Formats: sequence, C-alpha cells, structure tokens
Amino acid sequence: MKILVINAGSSSLKYQLYEMNDESVLATGRVERIGFESSILSHQSTGKQEVKEVSEILDHTVAIRKVLDILTHPEHGILTSIEEIDAVGHRAVHGGETFAESALVTTEVLKEIRELIDLAPLHNPASLMGIQAVSSNIPNVPQSVVFDTAFHQSMPEKAYLYPIPKILYRRHKIRRYGFHGTSHFYVSHKAAEYLEQPIEELKIVTCHIGNGASCTAIQGGKSIDTSMGMTPLEGMMMGTRSGDMDPAIVPFTMAKEDLTINEVTSMLNKHSGLLAISGISSDMREIEEAMEDGDANAKLAFDMYEYRIRKYIGSYTAAMNGIDVLIFTAGVGENASGLRKKICEQLSYLGIELNEEVNNIRSSEIREISAKNSKVKVLVVPTNEELVIARDTHKLILANN
Amino acid sequence: MKKIGVIGGGTMGQGVAEMLSVKGLDVFLVERTPEQLDLSYEQIEINLDKQLEKWAITVAEKKLILSRIHKTLEYNQLSQCDMIIETITEDLELKKEVFNKLDDYCPKHIILASNTSTLSLTELANETNHPERVIGMHFLHPVSKVDLVEIIRGLKTSEETFEHTKHFVEDMITKKGIMVYESPGFVTTRLICVLINEALHTLQEGVASAEEIDVAMRNGYDFKHGPLEMCDRFGLDAVLAAMERMFREFGDIKYRPSFLLKKMVRAGHLGVKSGEGFFRYDKDGDRL
Repeated sequence: MKILVINAGSSSLKYQLYEMNDESVLATGRVERIGFESSILSHQSTGKQEVKEVSEILDHTVAIRKVLDILTHPEHGILTSIEEIDAVGHRAVHGGETFAESALVTTEVLKEIRELIDLAPLHNPASLMGIQAVSSNIPNVPQSVVFDTAFHQSMPEKAYLYPIPKILYRRHKIRRYGFHGTSHFYVSHKAAEYLEQPIEELKIVTCHIGNGASCTAIQGGKSIDTSMGMTPLEGMMMGTRSGDMDPAIVPFTMAKEDLTINEVTSMLNKHSGLLAISGISSDMREIEEAMEDGDANAKLAFDMYEYRIRKYIGSYTAAMNGIDVLIFTAGVGENASGLRKKICEQLSYLGIELNEEVNNIRSSEIREISAKNSKVKVLVVPTNEELVIARDTHKLILANN
Repeated sequence: MKKIGVIGGGTMGQGVAEMLSVKGLDVFLVERTPEQLDLSYEQIEINLDKQLEKWAITVAEKKLILSRIHKTLEYNQLSQCDMIIETITEDLELKKEVFNKLDDYCPKHIILASNTSTLSLTELANETNHPERVIGMHFLHPVSKVDLVEIIRGLKTSEETFEHTKHFVEDMITKKGIMVYESPGFVTTRLICVLINEALHTLQEGVASAEEIDVAMRNGYDFKHGPLEMCDRFGLDAVLAAMERMFREFGDIKYRPSFLLKKMVRAGHLGVKSGEGFFRYDKDGDRL
C-alpha cells in the first residue's frame, strides 16, 4: 500500500510518499511560497537526483496538483499513475478534546476541525486547505488526519486544567492540550522497543527540542503531563517563544509600553526566547558558536535555556515519582551534544551518568548516550512524525476495509 | 482578489498599502512624481520599523511586506489589478480627475473605490462611464489598527460591486465593514467632528482646560484619546475642512466650525504634523 503524507502550512506544504509493505520512503519534497508568482517545488524520489521547479502556485490545490505531477513524472517521478496512491494522511495541529486518536476524513470530521479553528487560528485552516486540495485532485482517495494534540488527551484533569474560573473551561475550552504529540508518542515507543522493555512498565521523560520545544511525562505509555498548554507558547524557553512566565507581565507590559493584543502576542511568540536573551539568533547552533567566541549574552541565553529544560525534567520526575528513561529528540535535541551534556551533568542526583564519547557522536540512528551503570537510560531518538502519520493512516484504512 | 492599486501615497495611502500587503495582497502604489513615490515608500518603511520596535513584526516579515508593495507612476500598470483604492487628498476636483483617468485605464470589471470621508460618491461616479463599479471605502487612521471600514454606496453603485467590496473587507482584509448610504461625513466623520467642534466651544467658553476636557472624555467615557488630541492627530486643517463641507451641505448651524479652530489653522497650529495644536508633539507624533 502506498501512502502520501502531507503537512500543510499556510504558505508551504511538505510531503513524503511511503510504501507501507516495508515502510520505505519512495519520495520526499516540499512546496514553498504558495500564493506567490515564484513558488518553489523541491522534490526527490529515492535513488534519484533532487529537482527544483519554480512556477506560479497560487493555492494549495495547484500545489497538490504539482506534487502529483512530479510524482508521476517519467524522469523525476516514482509512480506511473496517481491511482497508485492508496491513501493520504494529513497532519493537523489541533484536535481539541474531540480527537484523542487519528481519524479518517469524513464530512463530520471536517466540520469538527473547522470548529476548532478558534483554538488554532494559524494552523487548522492550513490542514483543511490540504485536505480539500487532495479531494479536488484525487476525488476518491481515502484520507486521514493525525493530530498533534491527540497523544496528550490521556492527561488527567489535574494536569490539563488551569487554576482559573472553571466557567472559562466550559465556555471556551480553555485548558492545556499540549503539542508535538506525534513526536512524543513515536520516540517513547521507539525507545521502549530499543531497550526491549514493555512501555507499560516505564517512566519516560521526552524532550522534543526544535524551534518549538516541549517536554512530556509518559507513564505506562501514556502522556500524563506535557509542557505546552492551550497554545504552543507555554512551557520551556524556545527559539523565539518565551515559554513559562508570570501571566501578569502581559497586561503590565501592555499598559507600560502601550501595546495592542497583536503586538504583545507577537512579542511573546516571535521576539522572545533565545533570540531575545542572546540578541543574536534563535538558532542553537549560532548561540553555541557565539558562546565559543566568548559572547556573554549567548552564554546567558544558553544557560537559561538549559536551566528551564532541566527544571521540567525534574518536575516530571516528581510527577511520576521516578524516571527510567530520558529522551532527547528533534533538531536541537538530536544534535546539540553540548546542551545534552550540560543538562545531564546536573541531573546526577537522579542517578544519570552520561557516556560523553557516545554523546558526542553525530548520527541519524537511535542511540543510548548514558553510561553503563547510569540508573536512568538516556537516549537520543530521531523523531519521525511522518512515519506515524503513514502508519496511522494505514491502520485506519485496513480497519475500515 | 490578489492585486490592488492604491492611488496616493499620503498618510492614508501608506496605511492602506501597508495593511493590504500585510494581508498577503500585492499592492501597486501610485504617486505623481518619483520623489513623492520614494518618500511615501520610505515612510512605509519607517512605519514598519516602528512596529518592529514594538515587536509587532519581525525583520523577515518587514522584508516580505515591503516586497509586495510595488512603486509605479503609470496608470496603465493598474489594468492588471482587481481593485483600485484612491486615497488622495480630500479635494473633489482632484479626485474627479483621478477617477476620470482610472476609467480610461481600468477595464470595467475593476472596482474603483474612494477613501473619501465626506465627498459625494455619486458625483465621483458620474465622472466615469461605469458608475456602477464605483464605491466608497472609508478607512480610519491608523489603518492597521482600526478594525472598521465604512462601505459607502453611491446612488448608482451596483449590488455586485457592493457584495464584492463587502467580501473584500470582511473576508480578505478581515475588518468590520458597515454599510452606509451617501451622506456628508457618513457616520464616523460626522459624529466625531461634531464632538470635536463641541469640545472646542467648551474650551473657548472657558468651561475647562484642554487637558481636562480630554481627561474627562478619556477617563469618563473610555476614549483612547480625548477630542482635542484627536483633533491634533487628524490635523486641525482636515477637521476644519470636514466641518465646512458638512456645514455647507447640511446648512445646519450645528456644523458651523468653531472660531477657535479657524484661528489656530490660520496660525499654522495644525496639530501633530506641525508639532503643535492643542498639545505639543515630538517628530514621532508622541505627546510631549
């Protein structure tokens, strides 16, 4: 069975084509600058040269058509006809309380996603556009959607409610949802498999550290708490997002600086985090370089970033009364060995001991970076959200047949 | 709709062009001379820098916004647009000239909108061979922040033009649109100018000081700026012109501009733009 996985943003679209018999990737690519005269399609079929095409792609429907065209291109493609695509899986950011699992796309499901636009005004409309674009290009192909929030629906009430008037939860569904669920799910299960231990018996803390960052406490294979909340702004310090802070700062700053809601929202989402403290960049690699050159602000940014991650690991260890496995994943988590080292050094009270040599090795494979006698296993697990989407879609299709 | 023409790069034209670009639309900004065009583009850049300072946008967003604003001196470029918004100075004869020209260059499916606050749409529409495509779209300053557009129907504006404009305002640039029929000052200008004029009478009669009149309305009725500061921000000359036009059109004494207003305009105290009106301002327009 061949499954196309699509991750649609408001002006971009990433895709991967899977052969589910052996879960191999047949092709991968992205479309950027949708809505512009010079949109860019980059595509690579496995075993062939990468190709780039610049053309006018005014909407998602045209973008999907271009993707299908290149997938069936005699030279650059990998399919002989689009009929070969058995199903399409989409990533959706917000599933609210409606979706604790992935779902096949039906009119009701579309209606639910539309109703959740209020909670994810930037993201859910893009997912909807992706689904509609596929429908208009391949009308009868079964489609599924996989939600970023679904994995965290297992959080208990005490973890997902905010201590504010409950009527706000009832009226507007203001609660903690958490994000990166697909990634936290994938890396925790992958780790259990790697360690050859049943996930039901493990207490795991997963750190998904990329541009956005979140930390999850996983007990018995279920998310019991996660650092992102109603929106992806809560939790750890991030590239350009503040993460946790005193909520009173928001009205205080608005009054003092005469800011509008848009301005203060943009400040916390796009002008904070590593970028704000370092004054250099939101990219951990650039922060580390500047730190090596002796830049004090870069060092401060790094220290704050590390400190806030470490506090979350500590608090989730307390939440589960223990920790068996600590996992690092995503762009920064998989690559920043210096950051991992710094975090682990000060978690020795938990019995964490790092194998520095292994920690320094760069690899795209899952690996254990803790020392032999470390009480807690520390792993680097490259995440693969697309594969989860493909697998879920596959499962849903089989169950439906 | 993807491409919008904006005629006139003054304060309103800059605001409209910038707002349209922020919403992802391509803008063709037209001015009379290359110097004015550059000046107006630079001013948009300065406005964006101010927003950058207030964290409203990022450097990348600023670049993207500017890249969608295209400078042009030629009306023939406008034939590729889906809508034209005229934002030149509030002068009927000059506006007539522009609409005359637009009518020649723009195929008849292109909506021609005027950002007038007091003038007659019907009169402007009559300058063209297709008055049914002429409509009013009154934006308020600062355009990026004010969530309101008065959509004005002239006598000959077609239902189709109105529906397209309403869709444009509410769904594409996501502002609240209210429908008004042609009448001097429509709703916003008529009500606010009368309030400002009354504040001037109150000041002139010595009932309270300028500062305290403004405090009364700010604290008492939750206005962001008091009526006198508002007058400074609109420009005293603009308020006077609007009052005179309404006085002439309605012939009602309640629109008679306060004598104090006339006197201050003659003295060149025009408000924020001259640095002094009822209050004093720095070059960024902040109260001293």
